[in-house]
Amino acid sequence: MMNPENLIFLPVALPLAGAAAAFCAKAWCTGSLAKITEYGGALIGLALPWAFLAAVLPVIATGGVVEGVIGRWYEGIGITFRFDGLSWLVMVLIYSVTTAAWIYSLGAGPRNASFSAVYLILVSALSATIMTTDVFNLFVCLEMAGITSYVLIASSGKPGAALASFSYLLISASSMVFFLLGVYGLYRLTGALSYEGIAQGLQSLPDGGGTAAVVSLALMIAAVSVRVAVMPVSGWLPDAHALAPHAVSAVLSGVLIKVPLFALARVMLLMPAGMQAGALIGYAGAFTALFGVILALSQKDAKRLLAYHSISQIGYVVSAWGAAVHVGVTTPAGAALMAASFLHGLYHAMFKGLLFLSIGTTVDRTGQRDVYQLRGAARILRSGGERIPVTCICFFIGALAISAIPPFNGYVSKTALSHVLSGSFHYYLLTAAGVGTAASFIKLSRIYWPQKQGGEHSAARGRTPASVYISQLFLGGLCIAGGISASAVFAMVVNLLSASGAPVPEVAFYSSANMLKALLTVAAGLILFLLTATKKGGALLTTIRTRPRGFQDLFISFSLAAAVLVIWML
Amino acid sequence: MKPGTRWTQFWTVLSFAALAAVLVPVFVIDAPWPAAARDYVEAQGVREIGSYNLVSAVYLGYRIFDTVGEIIVLIASVIGTVAVFSAAGAVLAEGYEIDLRNMSDREKQEIMDDSSFTLPGEKRHTHALRTHLLEVVTGVLGPVVVLFGFYIMVYGHSSPGGGFQGGVIIASGIVFLALGNRMESSTMLTRPPVLERIESAAFLVLALASFGGMFTGTGFFGDFLKEFALYPAGFMMIMKVSIGLIVGAGIGYLCIAMVGREIT
Repeated sequence: MMNPENLIFLPVALPLAGAAAAFCAKAWCTGSLAKITEYGGALIGLALPWAFLAAVLPVIATGGVVEGVIGRWYEGIGITFRFDGLSWLVMVLIYSVTTAAWIYSLGAGPRNASFSAVYLILVSALSATIMTTDVFNLFVCLEMAGITSYVLIASSGKPGAALASFSYLLISASSMVFFLLGVYGLYRLTGALSYEGIAQGLQSLPDGGGTAAVVSLALMIAAVSVRVAVMPVSGWLPDAHALAPHAVSAVLSGVLIKVPLFALARVMLLMPAGMQAGALIGYAGAFTALFGVILALSQKDAKRLLAYHSISQIGYVVSAWGAAVHVGVTTPAGAALMAASFLHGLYHAMFKGLLFLSIGTTVDRTGQRDVYQLRGAARILRSGGERIPVTCICFFIGALAISAIPPFNGYVSKTALSHVLSGSFHYYLLTAAGVGTAASFIKLSRIYWPQKQGGEHSAARGRTPASVYISQLFLGGLCIAGGISASAVFAMVVNLLSASGAPVPEVAFYSSANMLKALLTVAAGLILFLLTATKKGGALLTTIRTRPRGFQDLFISFSLAAAVLVIWML
Repeated sequence: MKPGTRWTQFWTVLSFAALAAVLVPVFVIDAPWPAAARDYVEAQGVREIGSYNLVSAVYLGYRIFDTVGEIIVLIASVIGTVAVFSAAGAVLAEGYEIDLRNMSDREKQEIMDDSSFTLPGEKRHTHALRTHLLEVVTGVLGPVVVLFGFYIMVYGHSSPGGGFQGGVIIASGIVFLALGNRMESSTMLTRPPVLERIESAAFLVLALASFGGMFTGTGFFGDFLKEFALYPAGFMMIMKVSIGLIVGAGIGYLCIAMVGREIT
């Protein structure tokens, strides 16, 4: 059992066993026995993997890579999993947010055993996604993660949630057909499904597989981009993330859009054309960051505003990620870019998870989601029995982090991004996006400002359960810890991502120049916010918010994006 | 873009045509078909997996985790669909401005008549969507179909069949039983809670069996019965029976949830 080749499958096997236990709890048990079985399943699925991650760190930190074939079959025939620094880091991301969000769901719902079962299946699928090195298995893992997320989105029961889930299902299932077509193309050319087998097979072909190989890879990249929600294929995200239960929104925004991205990095390196694609996706990411924040600034629904920020922030991650793939992740510059990209992905998962949970608590207690209507939320929360304003404080930690204000973690990761991207085209777009982020969080934080005159909102009855506070404080603590231990975490991420031991770039996180930049960004954000508060600014925002959006647009943008990607890579 | 306008139609056609055009190279690959994996499975499949049906050897042996993934997709979609059904009844009725509770008997009868298959001679008070012919035939065939499904499931290693195929036949047998319960000869197999219990227990067996190989040196989802070779395809038997039961109970549950709600 203690054989490392067996151990690496535990992050997949344990949540799966936990899901089975939770599902059995629903079908076989009643009363307190059902609760015990369900919580036991969650403990197996969410707590035990932490022990595994701690146990395996010494091996991984020294550059060790563990590979294992499922069932110990012959390597080219069976499915190979690879556990390396990237897998370890992404699993920390997965388990920190999913653990916190599950605890939150105990208090704020949806509280039932089938939710826990589907949720644990999602965790298992995400762990498998980052470890697999087999294109067909990657397809299966993405399908597992997809189907569970459709179910979880629809489980909120809000009007429109089923429809949002359905349009996500249709666009992502249609794009996965093209992924499968790409798998077919690569298998037809090389006779292999494992990444290594495909890479070797392509090398032995004349001109590396030619057009067919490039088109196959492009189709796979385009399909995964839908899951990652890079513009222009992000149209499904706002509805899905805004209407899901709060705990699920945190997982979707924090984890689900990032894991496929980092899993894709392994696929992109199969052939030189993949590095070309990295450049295009990097540019798309930078534009996503800017346009996403413009759309976010114009929203009036609090959770929809956060959902558009997820698009914008994934743009930050993708722009550095694309640049890293373009220069090659084994080069020192590529390793630094990838490390900054992952760091922002990890920290975004924490602060966006925190924001979704605290805003979720606030809108539940006040019964009002409109940013322009809701005022005095801090007082309403206090009258609802919250003596220490935990939710309010946690929201401000998250808001300061996403606006890149020291000493919170968002400042650290955005400084790292500016450092590695400085001077490039992306840098200017990301800086502009930073101004918009600050402006829109000034707008959102107004819901906690004291009320001037009447228009009383009544708080929902009942006390807020303790698990809600625990999960919020857990993520809030991580946001502060990430900010304080800036250099150490960055060095660790660089070391884990570059097995060859690339030099860690010296980033002066708390230098006066960087602090000044943060201050100027916030000042510019304040000016932008004041501009949008004017009559003309408000009218412009309304125009952006109410622009027509159609179901067909999802498919049109996917087809065009895939076609453009193919042409670019050729 | 506003849906339905000419401009949108233009863009839709253009984008789909562009995608179709770039797909062409994948369909016209003229490289020789790769044969390495095929030859390996042909040469080693029977010895390593113990299955004469090599398709089963691939999907229940070499690529078992892909199969389990697809099974999990099925489980999650059954859970999700049933949850949406149970929530959607009210929402749909609201959307069509139908209020079932306040509906008069005559209105209910109208809906029943509109959707009924019955011949004029056999007006019925319950089960308006069925006919006597349907009930007699399905009631007699149901147990036979379930038995046939088990055969396909259990013999999947040596003849065409396997967990998925057998499971779907079992599910259709369950639907037959549910349609043919005219004689009030009740069977437990058509009750949703029972089906859910079967499905969850089979899933638990599948999840726990994945650990077995970790202790006997064959790894995650490895054949942990290889050492005790009483029966060559022993591990495969566990896999296909649990997969068959998950598929059968899951799809049966889904069908019963779909047909089970009657207006009466």
